[in-house]
Amino acid sequence: MAATPAQPPVEVFESGDAALRVVASSPDREANWATVHALAAWLDAAGADGVHGAVPTYDSLLVEFDPGVTSARQVRAFVLLGLRQLEFTGVPAREPREFSVPVVYGGEYGPDLVRVAEQQQLTVEEIIQLHTTKSYVIRCLGAPAGSPMMDGPDFPFPVPRLKDPRLSVPAGAVSVAGRQAVIAPAAAPGGWCVIGQTPLTVLDAASEPLVPYVPGDTLRFHQIQPEDFAQYAGRKLEAAR
Amino acid sequence: MSLIIQQPGNSVVTDLGRFRGPRFGLPVNGALDQFSARAANILAGNGDNAPLLEVTALDFRMQATTDLLIAVTGAPLHLTVGGRECQQWEPVSVRAGETVALRRIDGGLRAYVAVHGSVDAPVLLGSCAPDTVVGFGLRLAEGTELKTNRSVPPIRQPYYDLPLFRLGLTRPEFHSTAVVEVTDGPDVEEFGDTASLLYNTEYTVSGRSNHIGLRLGGALPERQTTAEVLSRGVPVGAIEVPSRDELLVLHRGRGVTAGYPVLAVVTSRSLDVLAQARPGHKITFRKTSVPEATAKHRAALRELEALRSTVGTVFSLLGIGNQPGWQQPVPAAGT
Repeated sequence: MAATPAQPPVEVFESGDAALRVVASSPDREANWATVHALAAWLDAAGADGVHGAVPTYDSLLVEFDPGVTSARQVRAFVLLGLRQLEFTGVPAREPREFSVPVVYGGEYGPDLVRVAEQQQLTVEEIIQLHTTKSYVIRCLGAPAGSPMMDGPDFPFPVPRLKDPRLSVPAGAVSVAGRQAVIAPAAAPGGWCVIGQTPLTVLDAASEPLVPYVPGDTLRFHQIQPEDFAQYAGRKLEAAR
Repeated sequence: MSLIIQQPGNSVVTDLGRFRGPRFGLPVNGALDQFSARAANILAGNGDNAPLLEVTALDFRMQATTDLLIAVTGAPLHLTVGGRECQQWEPVSVRAGETVALRRIDGGLRAYVAVHGSVDAPVLLGSCAPDTVVGFGLRLAEGTELKTNRSVPPIRQPYYDLPLFRLGLTRPEFHSTAVVEVTDGPDVEEFGDTASLLYNTEYTVSGRSNHIGLRLGGALPERQTTAEVLSRGVPVGAIEVPSRDELLVLHRGRGVTAGYPVLAVVTSRSLDVLAQARPGHKITFRKTSVPEATAKHRAALRELEALRSTVGTVFSLLGIGNQPGWQQPVPAAGT
């Protein structure tokens, strides 16, 4: 269908009988990210019959539905309605919250720190400096268990993934790969380079929603020493403001 | 009122899934063979989404401390109650003190045990389905006591050797060679001509398959492009080629986001077939369309609705569970 000029350009792809993939296709990366997250929020708020929910990432949105109640065709129409709606109302402004994350870098807490420094042709101190300088925007929640996916620190080169992924990376692991950064809310296998670990509890399975941040919130890392780890351990990650 | 697990095998309490999970980064999980799980609950007079037991591959035994009505569906197996041989896909009376045994799960992989009135289980985001990554859920162990909510006096069969119920559900068939229907994935073009290998190859189910995904050995389509893929949500049923060794078919425990191109997507109906595929079983894929897949899914749901209505009639004649609202399906999580 023809889009009006103000309507964000998207493509909608079939993804089986119970999901659609919506891809924002403007040349502007930030605009695409804003579009898929605004659309996800609109779909969640609208609560259409048979629509289970939407999973937004960078430029893409997976909309899952119950094919016994609705259909790919109906959900596609609903998504396009949402886009027109956003065109009139604009993307709802939400004040981002900021999270401050203490990290012990290197040693047993960050087994790949030295490797990453060598690969980037920087010192360990410079890596920590670059990692703690940036204010990260949480782009989306990823696997496992609502990991905060962020654009990585301003390293000179992309960070290669491990050739042999680890069978288990502990909860709280602070990792980088490619041009991305992340914290692991729960222990899981992982192929990203672990440069540190936060003693804070990120995932709380007893509370809803499990993780305290949402896409759009910001996050900063600051360095603590190994002897301070215990002092923070067991505390929950909470918004600073 | 309770059930005591005597031999857990590999069993959990689950439901149809955590439909609100994916937006928070949690997989939907829940019963892998959704048709069998729904049928078990309907045959036990429950809502489709009521907590029930999923028993995978291994023998299982439990003892009732009260009179119960249960139904066992899914993979073919040898079912006994108090030593008497009983039918799957039918309501079965269990007397207080009797042992329910599921032995020799065969042909398929997963069986479902629903108990009239259901069992109690902890809930996360509206679902009791276990999540192995978050460490949530009720995995059964020897001695686990499950609280049941409703007792049903034994239903006596007045004629000696007639089955108690004959409810006429078309039972799914289980074969060691299965045809799995798929629709083209959103990234099928990235595989060029090699995509057709998917439809011309017989694949073998690997022993490394689980609720997260099935790994299939055979000729592999190859991605013809190299551009980096940003992480994005992938549907249950997505078929990916992450390595040169095996095809990966994601099932209900899949990580919600991934960066591999999606070659094809298994239909909702065929996901039930995959849930019952055992290591060593052979799989071939057949291409279908989304409207056709939706029509088949709805036909299966209509069959379950017909079963619900028959069960409702029989149960009300027998005076089972006719409390107000007992037939109300428990709303699917998140709706």
